[in-house]
Amino acid sequence: MASLTVDSSLAADDPVQLFEQRRRELARSKRAMNLLFLALFAAAVVASVYVSRFYPERLASGLPRIFEYFGTIMPNLELDKLFLPRGDNGKAVPGSIAYWYSDFWTYLRLIAETVAMALTATILGAVAAFLLCFPASRNLAPNSVVYHLSRRFMEICRGVPEILYALIFVFAIGIGPLAGVIAIAIHSAGALGKLFSEVNENASMRPVEGIRGVGGNWFEEMRYGVVPQVLPNFASYTLLRFEINVRSSSIVGFVGAGGIGQELNRVISLYSDDRVVAVLLMIVVLVTLIDVFSERLRLAFIGKENFR
Amino acid sequence: MLKIEHLTKSFATRNAVSDISLSIPQGQMVGIIGRSGAGKSTLLRMLNRLADPTSGSIYFENRDIAKLSGKALYEWRASCAMVFQQFNLVGRLDVLTNVLTGRLYHHGIMSSMLQMFSASERAFAIKALDRLGMAHTALQQADTLSGGQMQRVAIARALVQQPKILLADEPIASLDPLNAKIVMDALRTINREDGITVLANLHTLDTARTYCDRIIGLQDGVLVFDGPPEKLTLEMAREIYGAEAEEAFSEGMTSTALAGVPAKERLTERDLQRHSDMSMS
Repeated sequence: MASLTVDSSLAADDPVQLFEQRRRELARSKRAMNLLFLALFAAAVVASVYVSRFYPERLASGLPRIFEYFGTIMPNLELDKLFLPRGDNGKAVPGSIAYWYSDFWTYLRLIAETVAMALTATILGAVAAFLLCFPASRNLAPNSVVYHLSRRFMEICRGVPEILYALIFVFAIGIGPLAGVIAIAIHSAGALGKLFSEVNENASMRPVEGIRGVGGNWFEEMRYGVVPQVLPNFASYTLLRFEINVRSSSIVGFVGAGGIGQELNRVISLYSDDRVVAVLLMIVVLVTLIDVFSERLRLAFIGKENFR
Repeated sequence: MLKIEHLTKSFATRNAVSDISLSIPQGQMVGIIGRSGAGKSTLLRMLNRLADPTSGSIYFENRDIAKLSGKALYEWRASCAMVFQQFNLVGRLDVLTNVLTGRLYHHGIMSSMLQMFSASERAFAIKALDRLGMAHTALQQADTLSGGQMQRVAIARALVQQPKILLADEPIASLDPLNAKIVMDALRTINREDGITVLANLHTLDTARTYCDRIIGLQDGVLVFDGPPEKLTLEMAREIYGAEAEEAFSEGMTSTALAGVPAKERLTERDLQRHSDMSMS
């Protein structure tokens, strides 16, 4: 068994030795990296707990107050008058649903406006993202200048919160849904463009080379080599973005950029707490409906693509 | 006449192709042999400029291909078709559209982005597919095809480019012997009937001997043999293939006889025009 002991000083260029040494070095350098990242992560967690003062006793004492708040904003409904219609003079009886939701048709119109805003913004954003994502993909960009320009541009688009863009556009072009649409579209273009370009970076380059080989230019390489591969993923991200944009467009109204948000802002500032609940309920129902609907659409789309 | 002069491609530490000079008359069928890494692929890829040469020139019809750029480069690639080992079809497009991409050079930006091809181009593409016995798959998605079928579609795509030269980079290395024979027969037929120069990288000696008018041997990027198949002695071949000799000799195709599929008629400019009356449809 003595032959199994290896004298390391004698066999410095022995392949097994070299391999083992290399492996140990690799493991050591990885361990150092892992420990470093673990330490950084722990530090970040501690810092964020401290900054947000996320302490259990604060949470315990605060939670009941949330329900207290809901208690104070509940509408004044009386069971015996609940379904009473409007009187002959057009006035609804206090305590009835008709009284609570007396502005129902206004809400509904604003909800429709919200959905329309989200839809328009999603389409505009998706088109811009589609055009931007090819130069912003590392594997497809014609040169590094175009790549960095389009990347940075998309970062600016999605780095600024929608509500800030909305403020700027309300100032520039006036109160109304147009400002909101543009604000959300810009943010969507940046966010979707990033996702799209990441999809592109996973696309196979073989079809692209096939198109280059037939004499296709860059646009044709994208159109024929990449787009057919990535389109299903683009569609699913766009639908997801639509859901997000429905939520966004009910917020930008707070700064006058159209949609149900402006009504929400009005009833909150008038302290008509029961109206706040009325509007919020409609938003929750809307968002749920949109989520269910677009989830189905997305599944149908992807399913059809995958199982054909 | 394709004339290559002192063509070199250098990578960081070595020359993939070093100082190769060749001239290939129009209509020749040339097999390029050599072990893996000998520079066969790099040579072909430089010819249609999927790779850029480090130095040297490629002359075709009094133009230096190595210096082309922009529109002229696209034009060259369109007239110098390439068939790849892994076919490089667009899997998610149907077969016909894949073949029609061979016409892209002749399209403006609008019609190509909107995938608008004329009826005459479609008819031309179908004829090309039919020459390779693939017309029945025209509307199938390309990634549903088998390897041999994909390679035939890729050749049809090359055909509708109406190329002067067809480069084939290991066209049969991913195929079984029967499909390999079908594909090699097709390349040979195209070469003989259409007068298209064919340059094929071939891994197996037997195939090169059977199909080619001329064999070029590469070793570590250097040209070590250039001549007709009968001049290639066994010792020379062993030298070229080195350690891979046994594999290269034994993996020969099952049949060396050129039974061949009956040839269909050659595609001409007239075929592309013939259906232009229908192109409004």
